[in-house]
Amino acid sequence: MIGHWVVLVQIAFRNLFSSFINLVIGVIIAVGTMLVVVGGAMLDSLDTAMSRSITGSLAGHIQVYSAASKDELAIYGGMTDDPSLAAVDDFPKVKRLLLGVPHVKTVVPMGINGALLMSGNTVDLTLAKLRGAVKARDAATASGAPAADLAEQVDSQKAHIRQIVKVLVEDAAKASVLADSHAVDDEAKQALATVSTEPFWEGFDRDPYSALELLENKIAPLVSDADMLYVRYVGTDLDAYQRAFDRMQVVDGQPVPAGRRGFLFPKFQYEEQLKLKTARRLDRIKEGLTESGKTIAGDSELQRFVRENQAQTREIVLQLDGLKTRTALARLNAALHSNETDLPTLLTRLFTTDDQNFMDRYRIFYEQLAPLLELYRVRIGDMLTVKAFTRSGYVQSVNVKVYGTFEFKGLEKSPLSGVTGLMDLMSFRDLYGYLSADKRDELRVLQAASGAKAVARENAEAELFGGGGPVVAEAKEGSIDEKAQLSGLKKAKKSEDLVARIYTPGEIEDGVVLNAAVVLDDPKALPQAIKAISELSAKEHLGLKVESWQQASGLLGEFVLAAKGILYFAVTIIFVVAVVVINNAMMMATLQRTQTLGTMRAIGAQRSFIVSMVLLETLVLGLLFGSAGAAAGAAVMAKLHATGIGAWSDAVYFFFSGPRIYPSLGAGNVVAAFLIILVVSVVSTLYPALIAMRVSPVTAMQAEE
Amino acid sequence: MGSIVSIDNVVKEYHLGKVIVPALRGVSLEVHEGEFISIAGPSGSGKTTLLNLIGCVDTATSGKVEVAGRDTATLTERQRTSLRLDTIGFIFQSFNLVAVLSVFQNVEFPLLLQGRLKAADRKAQVMSLLDQVGLSSHAKHRPSELSGGQRQRVAVARALVTEPKLVLADEPTANLDSATGQNIIDLMKALNQRRGTTFIFSTHDAKVMSHANAIWQLADGKILGKSGPVAGAPIPAEARP
Ligand SMILES: Nc1ncnc2c1ncn2[C@@H]1O[C@H](COP(=O)(O)OP(=O)(O)OP(=O)(O)O)[C@@H](O)[C@H]1O
Ligand SMILES: [Mg+2]
Repeated sequence: MIGHWVVLVQIAFRNLFSSFINLVIGVIIAVGTMLVVVGGAMLDSLDTAMSRSITGSLAGHIQVYSAASKDELAIYGGMTDDPSLAAVDDFPKVKRLLLGVPHVKTVVPMGINGALLMSGNTVDLTLAKLRGAVKARDAATASGAPAADLAEQVDSQKAHIRQIVKVLVEDAAKASVLADSHAVDDEAKQALATVSTEPFWEGFDRDPYSALELLENKIAPLVSDADMLYVRYVGTDLDAYQRAFDRMQVVDGQPVPAGRRGFLFPKFQYEEQLKLKTARRLDRIKEGLTESGKTIAGDSELQRFVRENQAQTREIVLQLDGLKTRTALARLNAALHSNETDLPTLLTRLFTTDDQNFMDRYRIFYEQLAPLLELYRVRIGDMLTVKAFTRSGYVQSVNVKVYGTFEFKGLEKSPLSGVTGLMDLMSFRDLYGYLSADKRDELRVLQAASGAKAVARENAEAELFGGGGPVVAEAKEGSIDEKAQLSGLKKAKKSEDLVARIYTPGEIEDGVVLNAAVVLDDPKALPQAIKAISELSAKEHLGLKVESWQQASGLLGEFVLAAKGILYFAVTIIFVVAVVVINNAMMMATLQRTQTLGTMRAIGAQRSFIVSMVLLETLVLGLLFGSAGAAAGAAVMAKLHATGIGAWSDAVYFFFSGPRIYPSLGAGNVVAAFLIILVVSVVSTLYPALIAMRVSPVTAMQAEE
Repeated sequence: MGSIVSIDNVVKEYHLGKVIVPALRGVSLEVHEGEFISIAGPSGSGKTTLLNLIGCVDTATSGKVEVAGRDTATLTERQRTSLRLDTIGFIFQSFNLVAVLSVFQNVEFPLLLQGRLKAADRKAQVMSLLDQVGLSSHAKHRPSELSGGQRQRVAVARALVTEPKLVLADEPTANLDSATGQNIIDLMKALNQRRGTTFIFSTHDAKVMSHANAIWQLADGKILGKSGPVAGAPIPAEARP
């Protein structure tokens, strides 16, 4: 019986090499198998890496949100605006119930919104400093304290403004040469002319405040680097969040202290949008040279960065006051062994870099120049004014302290997740336009004062901020000036004590929540947890929509799915081609050897023998070349696992969930490959085997054609 | 001596579309064990058809075919295949060796199908047969490396390796020159005499025929008669090529 199979395999093997077409089939199978193994393993590795990044950063394993929402939740944002979600009713109850579901570890409340960050332009900031310095000096002089240091401060700031004015005058000259246009209008020209004269500055100290006024009103608007920065953020219970999500790590600064209001910038955005552009470009060049193996000589993007740094020194020049300008000149001249008196020229020289001197210049910039500069437009520890349009279209603003920057491990360079900040839930509620406990108190005061009846939550906001609602209408009937009281309250709310206030967990949770992340203790329990939560929601009338992290993470979650789809499509095509080719080849082979088949039958081979023989032939072919393909794939994966694959671009970095991925080959990928081969071999040979089986032994008797 | 093949009034018709081609028209004959029989007849007379029926690769339209005491019409396809494997050896006009197998493996093939002998016994059996046909030194060769005569010797060895009671050979010498053909017939005759195996072979060749114990004359699907075992006996006119 064993001998029977031995001869079958032997015949299969020998037939294998008797025909050229078998080689072609073999190569198709080998390539297909390799693709299945390598592609499958790569995608699985990406999937694992990305799911770890995504579930561990924001999404959790499951997201729940109100089923009454108009849009689908997209944690990392979708193609367009952030979706509009309805609030979850009674979050504390939802949380309590969900925590009872098996495998649920934590439930973290969230709300996603966009907001605008306001920061003044360089001139504004410098003028504010000058005004402060003048005030301090005057106060000191008035009280008879020594004011020499303070006077020097004033002079330095004055020099800074003069420097700025000089730059602006040059700009204006360039603009009129270039376009001879209205880029700078006459009034502004006049103002510029005034403030660039010696007498203006000589007279500054006689009447510093009216001089400052002129500068603030006429000159500051000329500098257009004033900023409104759009940030997308997740408002959340920051303590619970930091405990539940291990992929979040604070990069600069510190986490928001327990119970406080506060904001954490995404590191990606902080670097991309808030860092001094020159410094950012230097970072990018360095990254290109050291991490991506590029050269300035060979890469047009790096060359562009170099050119831009050479040309755009203005941002730096504007930042430096008189003292610092002198210091900068001295330091740079020493470092560059030059003797230059014009700072822009010297800066251009500093930034004239090539592959040889770049690292040196980079070091000079950060060691000598950077300490004199504000590298970021928003510093850690700054108080930020965050503005947002509430849902009913009013502008609301909140002051929050920037505690630091953070990143999601593995998603550091993802432009999708890298622009989502983290904010406390109270500030989110203020900005989103729902009532926070503070606001409710505020409203109560207002109601008491006006004698208004209870205000429903939906109307409260309009009534509180709208100015046209019934509260105000009723207030007019009363004797108190409601508007004055209202604005007074608002001012109080924005004050420091709100920022310093510590909220209890109860206060944090009891309020508007748009969605909640559910973190499981076992990721494999995802499907059953989703089912359990859905059932619970139906039973308890929680009105929740329950989604897996893939669904909830919008675009981000779909990338891997799409990539898998493409791979499976390609693999299917390859194997369909293989099936057709094998089928044809085996048909030809069968028809060519009817006499051999007939002879075997005549000699005494049963039909089953013939069928096994033909099937075995493709099976051997498939296993042989499939093994070769799988082995090649495994070798490729072993190599990749050892060396890893460096992300060659930021987009790839995101897919890899890090700078380098070390993909590994799972047994599942190999098994899948062989299962596919098995199916392909059998399916493609069924018909030829049937034909072969039907060859009559009489054929053997017929004389050879 | 018992009868190994017994045919009684066998009719075989082929259907070509609506045309019925009668290949055998009421043939009766008896072959005894140990005989060395030749079937003679002109082309189209029904020799191959008759051998097919005896060899159980085909079934009669009517009449009775008994091989080794079994009525072949009552057997299933599987049983007929088993009967062929165990009782009948085949030698073909065009040798019909399996091209991808070696000489040894070709001869071993029926033993493997039977699956009764262990590898060592198989080897002994195969080598003994190859020795008898004078090809033990060519065991590892492929059929394509042999001459026509050598190939037919391999075929003879393959037909006899299972020690069948009956060997059927349809024009075994037709593809060989006369000397080689003579050689093959001598070999068959020797095996017939040494082992007592029954041989039935068809041929056009009078010289080949002359080695037979008896010659059945076929013409137009009918037996004309059985002539005696006389070497060089006159050949009936119908049997002349
Ligand atoms: N498969 C078949 N289909 C139709 N007719 C057939 C078939 N096989 C044989 N015949 C016909 O049956 C008759 C007998 O043929 P058979 O092959 O038995 O003759 P033969 O004596 O072997 O001739 P040859 O000496 O040429 O081999 C012939 O008329 C032939 O045409
Ligand atoms: Mg014939």
